[in-house]
Amino acid sequence: MVMTLIYRAIALLMFVFVAYDMYKEDAPSLKVNACMVLVPLLLRILMIK
Amino acid sequence: MNLKKYKHAITAVCVLGSLAVAGIAGKDFYDFRHYEEVIIPGEGVTSTFQLSDYNENLKGTFGDTTVYVMEGEKEGGSFLVLGGTHPNEPSGHMAAITMIESGKVEAGTVYVIPRTDNSAFTHNDAQEASPHFFHIETESGTREFVFGSRASNPIDQWPDPDVYTHQSGQTLSGSEMRNINRTYPGVKDGTLTEQISYAITNMITTLDIDMEMDLHEASPEYPTVNATVAHERAMDMASMGILELQMAGVDMSLEPSPVTLRGLTHRELGDHTNTLALLMETGNPSQGRLHGATSEELIIDGKDKFYEKAAELGYLYIPYDENGASLDMRIGRHLQGCVEYMKAFSDMYGAEKGEIIMTGIPSYEDLTSGGKTIGDYLN
Repeated sequence: MVMTLIYRAIALLMFVFVAYDMYKEDAPSLKVNACMVLVPLLLRILMIK
Repeated sequence: MNLKKYKHAITAVCVLGSLAVAGIAGKDFYDFRHYEEVIIPGEGVTSTFQLSDYNENLKGTFGDTTVYVMEGEKEGGSFLVLGGTHPNEPSGHMAAITMIESGKVEAGTVYVIPRTDNSAFTHNDAQEASPHFFHIETESGTREFVFGSRASNPIDQWPDPDVYTHQSGQTLSGSEMRNINRTYPGVKDGTLTEQISYAITNMITTLDIDMEMDLHEASPEYPTVNATVAHERAMDMASMGILELQMAGVDMSLEPSPVTLRGLTHRELGDHTNTLALLMETGNPSQGRLHGATSEELIIDGKDKFYEKAAELGYLYIPYDENGASLDMRIGRHLQGCVEYMKAFSDMYGAEKGEIIMTGIPSYEDLTSGGKTIGDYLN
């Protein structure tokens, strides 16, 4: 249970970093790239998949 | 074209796109996880209880599952049938459901668990592109059944360790920790999968169940297929059953349960309880590595041109041609197997423990050359 919470916290941290990177990034292709990474992270944080 | 001035607009579109994709995918995953498969018990079912009665830690979790009790009018031996140990092996799951919906126990008591690893029914194996469901025509209309995963849902049990160390000290790859057929005899307060296997072991001990059958499927290219695996105490009885199966036209080999391969039903339930532990395997083309697209047709008809080619080259351990290996045929093997092992138990232990007799379920012949389909036996 504790391990799962730590794992979710790490996933949340990754999500924040990737979201920040997407915001700062100028190239649209890299923004889209970051968005694709955000989807599984979001589903994991919410424990849907 | 300078896109910098549209930076915020592009960011907004990207975020909306992400949310849309996450929403659509998330709803699909969520709905599948919470899908309630309909099982319509027949008149042979006399009562039900929850597996959590044998491990209270399972209460309210996705590991809890229903146990169907089919008690005969005549007292006798007891038999536990485990279907859905691996939900990507549908003939075991469907054979158990067929018993619940059309079986009638004349003597003894039969316990049936159609969704043994209930958590594994709430997701698919990643990267397999498997359908969530398959459909069977019945008299009451089209019925929908779940095609799940080999292992418990990682949402229920995560993260996997790099190495899974079984309580015996055996080490396996980390993902096997979610494979219930590697976690027996289980741990009362262990991982969810260990809690389920503990509950089953405890149930067998508490109810003093005489015989247990775990229904599986394997890849056609895997050597242990169209086989019964028996614990050493069940070997004599299984030998008798095999002879009867051969007489009924079901080609079945008999394999001894490996003493050093730990965590499996046929090893641990035989070692830790008094039950006669058996496991049956049929050949499932939707499960192997050689097939084309994993479609609903493949699950039901079992026809695949790549497996045909592999059979021609002699790579398979089951007979396979253009007729495939249908789900009906595979269910027929399991049901005929259960009937023959019940007969063998009655012959060997009937005088001491009483017989186990179940009627009403289709034979192998009914589901192959008899012109019947499994839908004819579902409510």
